[in-house]
Amino acid sequence: MTTPDETISPGAEPDTTGWPQTAVGAAVVLVALGMGYGALGISSEAGYGGVGPNFLPWLCAVGLLISGLMIVWEARTGGFHEMDPPTGAAKAYWFGFAWVAAGLMLNASLIEHIGFILSCTLCYVFACQGLRRASGQAAGAPKVLLTDTITGVLISAPVFWMFTQFLAINLPGITSTGWL
Amino acid sequence: MDIFNALMAGFGAAITPVNLLWCLVGCALGTAVGVLPGIGPATAVAMLLPITAKVDMTASMIFFAGIYYGAMYGGSTTSILLNTPGETASMVTAMEGNKMAKSGRAGAALATAAIGSFFAGTIATIVVTLFAPFVAEWAVRLGPPEYFLLMVLAFTTVSAVLGKSTLRGMTALLIGLAAGCIGLDQISGQGRYTGGQAELLDGIEIVLVAVGLFAVAEVLYAVLFEGRVAESQNKLSRVHMSARDWKRSVPAWIRGTLIGTPFGCIPAGGTEIPTFLSYATEKKLAKGDDRAEFGTKGAIEGVAGPEAANNATVTAALIPLLTLGIPTSNTTAILLGAFQNYGIQPGPQLFTSSAALVWALIASLYIGNVMLLVLNLPMVGLWVKLLKIPKPQLYAGILIFATVGAYGMRQSSFDLFLLFAIGVLGVVMRRFDFPTAPVVVGMILGPLAEAQLRNAMSIGEGSAVVFVQRPMSISLIVVILAVLILPRLMKMRANRKERQALASGN
Repeated sequence: MTTPDETISPGAEPDTTGWPQTAVGAAVVLVALGMGYGALGISSEAGYGGVGPNFLPWLCAVGLLISGLMIVWEARTGGFHEMDPPTGAAKAYWFGFAWVAAGLMLNASLIEHIGFILSCTLCYVFACQGLRRASGQAAGAPKVLLTDTITGVLISAPVFWMFTQFLAINLPGITSTGWL
Repeated sequence: MDIFNALMAGFGAAITPVNLLWCLVGCALGTAVGVLPGIGPATAVAMLLPITAKVDMTASMIFFAGIYYGAMYGGSTTSILLNTPGETASMVTAMEGNKMAKSGRAGAALATAAIGSFFAGTIATIVVTLFAPFVAEWAVRLGPPEYFLLMVLAFTTVSAVLGKSTLRGMTALLIGLAAGCIGLDQISGQGRYTGGQAELLDGIEIVLVAVGLFAVAEVLYAVLFEGRVAESQNKLSRVHMSARDWKRSVPAWIRGTLIGTPFGCIPAGGTEIPTFLSYATEKKLAKGDDRAEFGTKGAIEGVAGPEAANNATVTAALIPLLTLGIPTSNTTAILLGAFQNYGIQPGPQLFTSSAALVWALIASLYIGNVMLLVLNLPMVGLWVKLLKIPKPQLYAGILIFATVGAYGMRQSSFDLFLLFAIGVLGVVMRRFDFPTAPVVVGMILGPLAEAQLRNAMSIGEGSAVVFVQRPMSISLIVVILAVLILPRLMKMRANRKERQALASGN
């Protein structure tokens, strides 16, 4: 397990030059190639105007390919031009990220099975775990977990009621009453 | 007289108890999201877009306008007290305002920001009232070629001119345009990039992109990189301006309004240029002791002018949105999405087809401005308390609201997975300094621009000459070329001068 103390060193220059920037450019090139591949399957039937449904996809594919290659070139020749150094720590705190990501994924997977209130509470508790650890706070103590769970319910439930009862917007519940 | 009558009818609709309540809730919520780090007006409006499914159109547009406006007021509070401007619009306010707060003059800085915002917002609303109908009348004469070029102008300024790097701005725009391609082609009805997923046939919801890029990305960025960032809050002093403060602020408010309003009126977007221009003007015009305060103790003109310019620009930006249907910022792009949810496409016809809605919205701007002045001057201490919410709980709470926004639109858990993916994209964009506004503007305006292009080409029977056959379209091409070329020429000239100065110095 990595602790924030090991990874975050405020004041150090974040490493976003070189290979990370090249990877960003390469990702843009990949998106462009994907767009181009997808555009092959779109009809070019232009009708009266001479511009068919595949025009914009091709434009985006070619534009992204050129942009991606230029980003790679910038990255390999001294780094991005006119770029402000990013805010925050030099290194990412992936352990905290994993907690928040798990919360979001669980929320997406469970919302239609356990209802909005429970699912969002779970997401809240997981996110708090990650964020507390990132800021160096105690996170795993039962008292903290209980507090976060209660706070999560106290935020999720009124939000659920506001949307289902007052605004008549469908959100998933474990009953069909719109209250739970 | 027609305008006056229409405005009075608008006031009649806006001051119903229900609409007044929506306006008040919108202004209060807007101020809160402006004060709180992590959420801006675009995110707040996006997260609440599902209400368009049930709430009356006039009420919800008044509500969203309140959030849009309120966030500008609230944003200045955070900039002054915390020196953490949430949006580029508040950056200049933070420069002098934070220095004033550090010198024990936070109250005066907050007062000049709030009164300046009120002054500029009201003047710019009068400009919207007087000029928007004329722009709409003129815009009726525009055809698809002109509309397409207007949208290209918006794309150009948002991506290539306003940001620091044209390459990264253009990449962001192309990502937005590519995302806008997903779903059914609106002219031929053919599916594009759906990958066999039924959920993608309707395209990607703008709410999803906005909430993912702004709210989820903010939370992920905070946990990844900002866990240990310490913030020190300046002490809030009594919100009061001395006679000297008034004497220095009033001309700055007027100048800021005069600078900001025209910038908002053009479909080019951005509050950076007018606010920085206002700051530079105030600094240049200041003399003696007042000038010495710039960058040291904090000069009140340096807060008053840019704040007025910011609010004037933001308000006047409703002219291109309402009359041409062209959004020039993240928030106006989301507001356009709100109109579209009601099956309305803002444009020149809006003033005739939905006159009651438009005038009620404009009237609500006057009312909202007054409400915000009351909410922000005597009650500023209340808003400052929001800054005491611990970051972990605040950011985790944002995810609950993000879920409502993303899930509430289509009731699809698939969208929540997509939300996470877009959030990760947002983190990468922020870390590598890619602007987000071009993504949102490209995504929402891309399909409209494509339709206008194809209609224009049909008018020209397949020939692109149609774009240079009308005086208006030729003028627009010249403007687009000018905004692309002139800033570069000026920069090259400045660099050359600098080199010459250095050479002569040696």
